[in-house]
Amino acid sequence: MKKTFLTNLLFLLAILLLTGSSASAETTSVCIDCHSGLSGQLGEIPTAEWHTSIHARHRVSCHDCHGGDPTDYVNAMTAERGFIGVPEYAAVPAFCGRCHVGVEEDYRESLHGQVVEFGGPNCVTCHENHAVQVATIDLINEVSCSRCHSYDKPALIKEEISTTEGVLSRLESSVASLYRVGFDIGRLQDDLFSTRNNFRRLFHSVDIEKIRAETAGFDAALEETKATIDELEKTLGRRKIAGGALVLLLILGGCVALLIRRTYEDHK
Amino acid sequence: MNPAKEAIDWLDRRLGVRELMHKNLGGYLLPRNINIWYTLGAVLLAMFGLQFLTGTLLLVYYVPDTEKAFTSVTMIMNEIPYGWLIRYLHVVGSNLIIVFMLAHMLSVLFMGSYKRPRELTWISGFILFNLGLVFCLTGYLLPWSQLSFWATTVATDAAGAIPIIGDQLVAFMRGGPTVNEATLGRFFALHVMGLPLAFLALVGFHLFCVRRVGISKPPFGDDYRTTDMPLSFHHEEHHDGVPFHPNYTIKDTAMVFFALALLVAITFFAPGLFIPPDALEPADPFFTPPNIKPEWYFLWAYQALKIFPNELLGLASQGVAMGFLAMLPFFDRGLERRPAHRPLFVTLYLLGILVFVGLSLWGHYS
Repeated sequence: MKKTFLTNLLFLLAILLLTGSSASAETTSVCIDCHSGLSGQLGEIPTAEWHTSIHARHRVSCHDCHGGDPTDYVNAMTAERGFIGVPEYAAVPAFCGRCHVGVEEDYRESLHGQVVEFGGPNCVTCHENHAVQVATIDLINEVSCSRCHSYDKPALIKEEISTTEGVLSRLESSVASLYRVGFDIGRLQDDLFSTRNNFRRLFHSVDIEKIRAETAGFDAALEETKATIDELEKTLGRRKIAGGALVLLLILGGCVALLIRRTYEDHK
Repeated sequence: MNPAKEAIDWLDRRLGVRELMHKNLGGYLLPRNINIWYTLGAVLLAMFGLQFLTGTLLLVYYVPDTEKAFTSVTMIMNEIPYGWLIRYLHVVGSNLIIVFMLAHMLSVLFMGSYKRPRELTWISGFILFNLGLVFCLTGYLLPWSQLSFWATTVATDAAGAIPIIGDQLVAFMRGGPTVNEATLGRFFALHVMGLPLAFLALVGFHLFCVRRVGISKPPFGDDYRTTDMPLSFHHEEHHDGVPFHPNYTIKDTAMVFFALALLVAITFFAPGLFIPPDALEPADPFFTPPNIKPEWYFLWAYQALKIFPNELLGLASQGVAMGFLAMLPFFDRGLERRPAHRPLFVTLYLLGILVFVGLSLWGHYS
């Protein structure tokens, strides 16, 4: 009995003393370990850029694109472990398209995709490579597009997609807020993810007529998602009203109790 | 015929409840200048009662299984009527309890109420504070979120720094080499059964000590006099005082209302204050979130560990600091309680608070 008590006490004390300990850690990857110690384009630059990227946030690490074994220092970059390394310029769309399948398809059919063999734009021309960020409509801009051609057509495409893109980003922001307060937004997130990906693959076609024809379908899908989000936000609003009322009641209760106490003080 | 009166009469004839109630309520006199800090005990009792109630309700749907824990918490939050409210009250309540416990301890320290003959009251309170922290730590793991998993991993990892028994201690706490199903099982058992039982027993002892020795008079005002330590047991009486009930219980009630208002306000308007984003993702043993940090009340210890050249030294220094605080009434044996007459103590007291806040902020922003 005494031994059990002492064991439990030891367990409690050990837990207590150790609770303050913590450490910062990251995805286990020998790629990051080695390359972050190197200088230049094969070292600190890509690793630092990757840390800021959307890929890092979504846990897409070096080996997910470049292949190899992220757990084995010696054989990490051997062909046996599937190491691919850096793709040729024209092979970049296929490289990225292993994950971004739909976008690659539409890109391939576009003018951009058709001239990639001749130095036309590939994925990283607009999106960067290791520092790739969440794609936004701002990627279509005069400075970027004018590197190769006039901005007239991109401006038209941007105008055509801007309303739907605006709705998409507003809905994404609403979903993020709902997630932060504990709502299960799994299905909403999936719906938005799917709509956004399909919409974005559409404008990789850079075909203004096709974009005009298909945008309405995306707007309708987003309207359904918005209705669900509105319902959840209304629920949240109702909760806050109820919470506010409860807080006021409790404060009122406290004040009444203090007033009652004053009457006792007056009696003293 | 009044049924309530009849019931009390019936009990009174058998147990003398009227005398008991008079002795502990109306006839129990407290110092006239008793201040607001003395209500923190009642606030804490109310908060613990609420934790017990919300915790019991959460137990109805929570599943302590690594495969199902996170899903069950998500279900509580989204599908069970008012489940989100019950869980948030529990989470926010646990954090507020630490705030109120700290305030309670700091007020007791400032007013010198820990001094003899109240050593046992202080020690039992100090252990209760530590049990509260263990309550929080064990509860932290239960949702099996990314934060739960990794915060527990790094917290238990430090035991490895202890010479000779370090590795065995880590394995003992985790029930294996890594945080796993067994860790969840033992933390769950501790959180819902072991700790509440120990806590209840200790709260009972703490209250017994408070009642038996008597409430200490606040060391303020012109009429305050330092009293000598009696040679035999002595209950501190306050003959010119105010009755505990209703004069003081109504003040307690007011403060409980205000504390609950704070709890409800955070629960409804800013629940994210105590729930970092990593707590919203299910545990992934293969991905460590960057910059994982302990809860705010452990940040001081986390940062202190980083300052020392090795973990063992850091752990030992924390152990010494906590041990010193626990044993303070045995080191500080003077009977003077007035802060104005204890400049050295007040200086150290303020420095201690500054170090706690400074280390916590440093830990947060590091």
